[in-house]
Formats: sequence, structure tokens, C-alpha cells
Amino acid sequence: MLKRSRLSIVCLAVMIMLIGGSIASSAAERTGAWVDDIVVIEEQREPAAIGMLLAGELDMYAQTMSDPELLAQVQSSPELTYSVSYGGYTELTFNPAGPEFANGGLNPFAVPRIREAMNWLIDRDYICQELYGGMAIPRIVVISGAMPDYARHADAVRALELQYAYDFEKAKEVVAEEMTKLGAQLVGGKWQYKGKPVVLTGIIRIEDERKDIGDYFATQLEDIGFTVERLYKTSAEAGPIWMMGDPNAGEWSFYTGGWVASVINRDYAIVPEQMFTRRRMPYPLWQAYNPDPELDEACRRLYYCEFSNMEERAQLWHKVLELTMKDSVRIWIADTSDYVPRRANVTVAADLAAAVAGAQLWPFTIRFVDKVGGTMKIGLPSVLTAPWNPIAGSNWVYDQMMTRGTADRGVMYDPFTGLVWPQRIERAELVALAGLPIAKTHDWVEVEFVDEIQVPGDAWADWDPVEQRFITTAEKFPEGTTANVKSTVYYPSELYDTKWHDGSNFSIADVLLGMILTFDRAKEASPMYDESAVATFTAFIGYHKGVKIVSVDPLIIETYSDSYSLDAELSVSTWYPIYSFGSGGWHNLGVVIRAESANELAFSQGKADKLGVEQVNMVAGPTLSILSKNLNAAAAEGWIPYSKFLSQYIGEEEMNTRWSNLKKWFSSKGHFWVGTGPFYIEKAYPVEGMVHLKRFADYPDPATKWEIFGEPMLSEVEIDGPGQIVSGNEAAYDVYVSFKDEPYAVEYMDMVKYLVLSSAGEVVVVGEAEAVEDGLWQIVLTAEETAELPTGVNRLEVIAASKMVSIPTFESMQFVSVK
Amino acid sequence: MTISELQQVTKVDTSRKRKPRLDTLSRILRYAVTRLIGLFVAIVVGVYLTILIANMGGHVDNIRKAQIRESVVMAIMGMQDQARLTPEEIVQFQESMVALEEQRLGLDKPFFIRSFIYLRQALTLRLGRSEQLVSDSGSREVRNIIMERLPATLVLFGTAQLLLFFTAVFAALFLSRRYGGWIDRLVVALTPTSAAPGWFYGMFLILVFASLLRLLPFGGMVDAPPPKETIPYLLSLVKHMILPVAAIIVSSIFLTIYSWRTFFLIYSSEDYVEMAKAKGLPSNMIERRYVLRPTLPTIITSFALMVIGLWTGAIVLETVFGWPGLGRLLYQAIGAYDTPVIVGSTVIYAYLLGVTVFLLDIIYALVDPRVKVGAGGARA
Repeated sequence: MLKRSRLSIVCLAVMIMLIGGSIASSAAERTGAWVDDIVVIEEQREPAAIGMLLAGELDMYAQTMSDPELLAQVQSSPELTYSVSYGGYTELTFNPAGPEFANGGLNPFAVPRIREAMNWLIDRDYICQELYGGMAIPRIVVISGAMPDYARHADAVRALELQYAYDFEKAKEVVAEEMTKLGAQLVGGKWQYKGKPVVLTGIIRIEDERKDIGDYFATQLEDIGFTVERLYKTSAEAGPIWMMGDPNAGEWSFYTGGWVASVINRDYAIVPEQMFTRRRMPYPLWQAYNPDPELDEACRRLYYCEFSNMEERAQLWHKVLELTMKDSVRIWIADTSDYVPRRANVTVAADLAAAVAGAQLWPFTIRFVDKVGGTMKIGLPSVLTAPWNPIAGSNWVYDQMMTRGTADRGVMYDPFTGLVWPQRIERAELVALAGLPIAKTHDWVEVEFVDEIQVPGDAWADWDPVEQRFITTAEKFPEGTTANVKSTVYYPSELYDTKWHDGSNFSIADVLLGMILTFDRAKEASPMYDESAVATFTAFIGYHKGVKIVSVDPLIIETYSDSYSLDAELSVSTWYPIYSFGSGGWHNLGVVIRAESANELAFSQGKADKLGVEQVNMVAGPTLSILSKNLNAAAAEGWIPYSKFLSQYIGEEEMNTRWSNLKKWFSSKGHFWVGTGPFYIEKAYPVEGMVHLKRFADYPDPATKWEIFGEPMLSEVEIDGPGQIVSGNEAAYDVYVSFKDEPYAVEYMDMVKYLVLSSAGEVVVVGEAEAVEDGLWQIVLTAEETAELPTGVNRLEVIAASKMVSIPTFESMQFVSVK
Repeated sequence: MTISELQQVTKVDTSRKRKPRLDTLSRILRYAVTRLIGLFVAIVVGVYLTILIANMGGHVDNIRKAQIRESVVMAIMGMQDQARLTPEEIVQFQESMVALEEQRLGLDKPFFIRSFIYLRQALTLRLGRSEQLVSDSGSREVRNIIMERLPATLVLFGTAQLLLFFTAVFAALFLSRRYGGWIDRLVVALTPTSAAPGWFYGMFLILVFASLLRLLPFGGMVDAPPPKETIPYLLSLVKHMILPVAAIIVSSIFLTIYSWRTFFLIYSSEDYVEMAKAKGLPSNMIERRYVLRPTLPTIITSFALMVIGLWTGAIVLETVFGWPGLGRLLYQAIGAYDTPVIVGSTVIYAYLLGVTVFLLDIIYALVDPRVKVGAGGARA
């Protein structure tokens, strides 16, 4: 009996080893996606989706959810887990018109000090804990806590956060002072102006927690003596009043605003420029702004990168942070967090701002932890919401999630930092004008600064739609021209071994078609002309100086531009044929181009409406038959798009192979959606609201390529040091930085900053800790610094910022300073 | 009497017989034309009111314009490319995007003019193009959008209504024979359950059969991925219909049985039924000829009213069950202020309602010999 039992155990162990070994070996050999199939199912009902996850009918629900009760359900189940994203934020927008409205009413929010006082009036901790159920983080300053600029300027931010912490009495006092100056009187606890109550009209959005926030704020205002009229409105109802209405009409006093960031924005300067100045928005509310000239100028300089180094930029940011608090035409309430629930045996990369649906890496990282392969069922609130085409198709986030699964790209967005990593390209070089504030983080890009960048005369600067040829820089700029940056990308030698889903080999014509379409759709003389493409093109042509194919095989492309980012990685132009809404080869897009040129359909909705035809949908619907007809005609005639130009690059064999492959593809799959990504569309079910994605077996990269992005490396910080120090003596503190109990490598850290704050909340000392070894940093307060500290309780705040994730970690400890 | 005289008499007799038939025909025609004109006017008024209401008398234009500006703002905030444009260029950029979208939606024309364009398109069933929504397969033609969703709604509600009708008729007949019995009293006791709509029971059914017992799906129309063969597809469809159909039936069945059973009871106590019983006619014949037939007009009217009520409940029920039908489409269209789709769906409902009322008039005349179509007396 015992022997049999032992034998069973041995057999079981061998089996486990064999299975484990086979999983490990298949994982090592696996290319492309980890799972074999993904079935996307439309499911709008959040509670039902949680039920389906629990029942195993779904493996992930990729909707970003914020319902605290459903979160509690997810947290209480061992079968479920979730990812968190931080892209949303809420604020209170004030009407700054006045101080007297056209109707004679008083508008206290015309006074900056009263607006500033509103920061003290609201208890953000209460809002985050009680109204958001813990799914939000208090936000006081203009920079979101999930963005890299927050970590960069954490010392200034922290000081302001302490300065503007909840203080009801202070708010009341400041308001009373300013209201009296305005000529208002407090009668029976209520503010009156010219004998009438001062009525504040709040437009309170009702779709989410902003309804509770609006009510809370209204109550606080009532508590300091205002009479508040609450207007509960949907987005559609509120827009005409707060955004389009005349602020002087006095229809509203405050509005509960909310915004969403769909990417990690490495340069956050757009937000103060857009939210506190008149420049960006031609709408009545913005035109009523009257910012301090110093703030206005600082916002402008930040936005236009008018600084020569990062220190100067930091000084500008510090000014903007401080002056936006003084202006407070908007006050910030909370950075909201959302969650994406999934079954516990599923892992996936989730973007810190855009969650799973917005992460470019999701199709490369999604997998079952216990096996390779299998079918994953993903719920989405909407599926096939708008027609799919790569040029001007569906921009719905959930449609985009699926199209990302079918596309490859030159560089891949890092879901935790907003930087990019090489995907299809091998490396890049960036040459920039000396003095531009550009810096690199990763080694795949080389940066060099020069005094002048001359654009070569044979680079392509524009496109002639009639002659179907590129206009060279020499033709466009006979006197010659220069650029701010030149990026050179080097593709790997095996680029042309890459396969499209229909089996066709990738070719240079795929890249060139992308270049042509960048220009041609905005040219009036082209049959592809589309008014809706003009605005974007106008922006592009304003900074584009030239592009040059240096070598076709291996592919090397130089791009000359006046546009650049602070990060060198983001200044590189790859020209890989990934369009705004998906990818496509010259052949499947060529069929659409042929049909649109004959006015049978159109890429964009605007042009389709104008022509009275359908917008092309390459996965389903009535345009498939038009595309099929054009495919047959193209194949029969030996037609290729932009043949005058592309025929130099597309041989007859390639042409025939492409048409033949596309015909087979359409006949087998019933659609024209062909990409180079890790999944292809097996079938779309429009009425049933489902899409079946299948793993693309010919995808070249190993499945393990993006494994490290399974989870953001959010650091944990501990401070160790004396609880009591003597003024005038040196004091040292150890800072332990770790991730999952392992030391955080110094090379992964951006910085460890510290602040020492007095009990009054004043910043007394600011400095950077020194790295000792992986996971250990040291803060030394010099004798001079400790001498400056007031006696009594002080607080040491540590801010650890990582290169691997944009969200910094805060930790603090109190100590006593004695003489 | 000679043969020729006989033929003459026959002719006279025939003409005498034909005259009333022609009269009847012309009366029916007159009646039909009058009714059709009346119904058409009602439809025109109904559709135009829908256009006015769906657009809040033109206020929706302001809402749409604000939405366009908000979406342009968001789009520009998300764009990096414009970082080097001057403020003037940005404003120009925004305004051109806004103008294009307003032009696309026809907001450059006054609402008053557009309202009559909507009306003409609706009445001629040229439903035009939607403004926001697309059909599931990506078409902007309102006809395609509606036609893609209509089968799903028809199959769900058609099945539920047929089941409801026949179950209720037979159950009501059965109960009318067992008046006062425990089953009858149970049905009477359960009648108040019909106060709640179908979607309300839907949520409970989902909770019990999908969430707790895990016997039936949470919603949707078929399994994921949908079976490729027809029979498995149909079986999957049936499985997904069980809960929504049950919800519809549960929400109406007891009240329907109760009221129809009452009708049967009323007609069962008529003198001619007593006479038939006294004559010793078989109970089946009495039930069919003397009770069921005269009760049918009342039942049909009651059923038609119920069907209309159920259609209006489709919006919520389909949303609760994630059923890809016309109700959910209408819900989405209202949310998106997509007037052509709202008007298109309404006009389809209006025509369906008009046809139903018209057919009811005819059916009434067929099932009830006392009703004389077009005569001055009783009318359906």
C-alpha cells in the first residue's frame, strides 16, 4: 500500500515536472501572443460583467471602472484581481466674470483671492475617501500625480500641498475679508449684496461622483454664508452654459469639471497653458480669463519650450505651480483612479494613464499565468462601435484596443513612463540644435547637439498629387533650409521578412504609401482630397522639413523637423506604417484608395457624408462588397496605388502575390483588415457584438519580449534615522527603496529627493539623497541645515522617483529638533 | 315560364344579390380610405412631434454645438503635433474642425428647415443617414441601422408574445371552468406581480439563474464565439432567449390570465350559452363557438394594447439583457441626440402601430359578426 502510494507520488512529481517543463519550454519557444484566441464580447453592464468574471464566462473586463461597491466585490474574491490606472482628474471651474454680472448680481469668484480660498474650503481627503470610496488621490496643484512632471517638481508641489491643505476657518476668513471689500454684508449669516442674497449657481454634473462633489462644495459654500442654487446637468446640457454661454450673463458661478488623460504626458506644460490662459481656447469662458502677466508669460514659455535647460524649466514650473494657486480660476480636487478587473490567473500590462484598453503592450503581455495558449474572453462596453479603417476609422477606445492587437509599430509606448522602446526599429540617432532642452533616458537612441542642421536638397519636403511625386527640399526651399532636429532610424536587416497577416512580405512600398498618405489627402488636386485631413496636415507641414530614405535594405530613414520633445526618444520619427487608427499594407489600403478615388466610399466620415456614400469599414458591412469589386478589378488590371511613384518600388511579382494573397484572405476571413501584429481578426460578429482574434503564428518576436511590463515597479520607501536631533549637529537618515521586498536598483531610480518641513508647514531644507547601493540611499542633514530648523517637531519628507514608472513614492517621518 | 323569362328572372335575382355586395365593398373601401387618411394624419402629427421633442424644439442644436467644441478641445489637448503652432493658428485649427463637423451634421441650417426635411424623409421612408450612430456593420444609413437590429427584437418579442398569448388564452379558458378553485385563487393572488415591468424580473432572473445557479447566460444573444453551424447557433440563441422571454412572460402572464378569464366568465353566463348547455351541446363546442369566439375581439384588443406596452418596455429590457435589439438602439440614439435614428425608429413604430390598428379593425369584423365595417352602427 505504502509502495503504491509512493509510486503515485513519484508519478505525480514526474508529471508535474514534465508539465512544468513543457510549459517552460513552450514559453521559451513561443512567438507573438501568449494566448491562442481572444474573443471580445460586448458587455455594457458592469455588475453583470463582474458576475461573468466570477462565473468564468469572462477572463477580463477591460472597461475602466470606478464603482467602489463593485471594487469591494472584486477585492473580496480570491478568483479576481485588478489593474489600476490614474488618468482621470476632477476640478472646480469658476466663472471669473464681474465682479458684477450683467444682471446686477455679485460674482465673488471674480476675485482671485476668493477663488484661492476655495482650496482651503474643500477637504480633499474627505472627498477621496468618502465620495470616491478610496479610488482617488487628493490633488491640489496643476500637475497630475501620475505624470512625470509631478515627480520632477515634487519638492515645490509638496510645499504647496501643505500650504493649501483643508482649513475651513481660513477660507471663511479670507472670503469675509474680500466680500466686505466688494461691498457685501453678512446679514443673519448670509451674504447680501445691495439688499439681495448673494446667489452662487453651481452646474453640477450628474454622471459620476461629481454630483456628490458638487453637493459637498455647495454645502461648504452655504456654511460660509452663500446662497447656492444647484443645477444638476448632464455633459450635453451643461456644455452650452459653461463653455459656450456668456460668462457675464451670470448663468453660472462654478462647474464640476472632469478630464481624462489617455497617455502619460511627459511634458505637462500644455495643461497650465490651456487651463489658465486665453491663448488656446476661443470660447467665451476662456476669453474671460485675466491671468497675472507673470503667470501668463511663464505658461507661454513653458509651453513653447523657451528655456535652455531643465533647471530653467524647473524654475518656470515652480512659478507656474505657485501662481496657478493664486489665480485658481480652476481648483483641482482629485486624481481619480479606475480599475480593470480580471480573473486572478490572467496577467496583462496596463498603462498607468490609459489602463488596459489604452496600453499598446496589452496584446503582447496578456496571458494565463498557468499555461501557454488557451482562449481568453474579454468583455468590453462597446464593440465595433464605428467603422474600422486605419486612416480615419473608429477612434473609440475599445475599438482601438482591438486594432492595437492586430498592429505592429516602430516603437512601443512604455505603459509606466510614457517613453518609448524600439519595437520594429533597431536603434536611432537624434541630432539636435545646441541649446534645445532635449535629454535621453534609454540607450537605444544616441543624442548629439550641433550648431546647425542643414536639410539635404534631395530630402522629400512635400508631395505633388498631380505628378504623383515627392517635392524635394531643394525645390521647396531653393535657398536651403535648416531644422531643429534630425532623427535617423535604423531598421533591422530582417525587416522585410516580416509578414502581413495574409502571408505577404513587408516591403518598402508599405512605408512609402504611409508617407504619401501623410500629404496626399490634404491636397485639393488629389482624388483622395479630404477636408478633414487639412487641419492636421497644416500642423504637420508647419514643422516638417524633409524625409530621406538613406538606404532601402537595410532600411534607414532620416527625418528633418522643427518639432521635438523634451525626451529624445519621443523626438524620433520611424515612418513605420502604423496609422492613427490601425495598420495596413499598400495592398489592402490600396483597394480602399482605388474605391475612394472613384467616390464609391471614403476613409473619413466627413467626406463620406459629403459624398453621400458609406465610410469604409474594412471588417464588416456594406463597403466590403465595394472593396471586393475593386480588389478583383485591381488584380485583373495589374493596378497599384500611386503607380507613377510606387511602380518604382513594387515589382510585378510582388504585385501579383499581394493581390492573390488578399483575395485568398478575403475569401477565407471575409474582411480586409490585414496587419502585422500578434493577432489577426478571425471573424467579426457585428450584431452579436463580438470579435474573434487569433494568434498570428508568423509574428517574429519571442512572446517573452515585453514580459517585464507585467506590473509597474512602484517603489516602496522606508526611512530609518534618529527621532531626535540636536540643532547644529549633523544628522543622517537611511532611505530604503524596494519593489516587492527586493532592493530597487540604483540604475532604475531617477532621484530620491527630500524636504524638511517645520511644524508650521514651511519648507526649511530641500535636497537630494545620495545612492549608497541598490535599495539604499542616504540623507545627510548638515550642521548648518539642522541649525536652521526650529526647535520642536519637524517632518522629513522623502520623494522617490523611478525611471521605470512615472508615479513617485512619498514617505515621511517626524523628528524632534532640540537645542 | 319560358326559358328566356326564367333567364331574365335569374338575372334580376343576381343583380339584386350583387347590389348589396357592391354596397358593402364600396362601404369598406370608403371606410378603409377614411381610416387610412386618419391614421396617416395621426402618424404625421406623431412623427413631427417626435422631431420637435427629440430636438427640444431646436435646443439640441446648442447642445450639439457645445459637444462638438468640447470634443475638439479634448482632441487638441491629446495632440502633440500642434505644440509649435501659434495661438492664432490653434484658434484657426479649432474653428475649422468645428465648422466641418457642424456642416456635416447640418447645424449650419436652421432647425425649422431641418425639421421638415426630417419629416419628409420619415414619411417617405427614406430614412436618410444617421448623425452619430452607425449600424453594427458600420453603415450610416438609418435603414441599415434599424434593419440590422429589428430581427433581434422581433425574434425576442415575437416569441415572448406568441407564448404569452397562447399560454394566457388556454390558461384563462381553463380557469374560467374552475372559477373559485385554488389555482384560480392563486392566479388572482399573483396578479399584482404584473405591476412590475419585465426588466425588473429580468434582473432577478439573471441574479438567480446566471449569477447564483450559473445555469443560463447573463445576457447577449449567442455564445462567444458564435457557433458556425446553423443548428448549434439556433440552440445557443434559444438558450440566451430563455431568461428575457421568461421575464416578459412573468411580468404579464398573471394579469393577462386574470383579465381574460374574467372575459370568458362574462361570456360564459350569456343566455345563449345557457341555451346551448340546455340543448346538451358538447362542452368543447360551447367553449369554442359560444364563449371563445365572442370573447376574441375583447381579447385581441387587450392583447394589442399589451403588445404596444411591451414594445415600449423593450428599451430597458434589452439593455438589462444586453440584447442587441431596436430598443437598445433607440436608447443609444436618444443619448446621442441622433435625430434621424430616433425619427426612423419612431416612424417604424408609428407605421407598425398604424398597421396594427388597421388590421385590428378588419380582424374585429371577421371574428365578430355583430361588427359592421363602415356602417353607421357598431364600429371596431
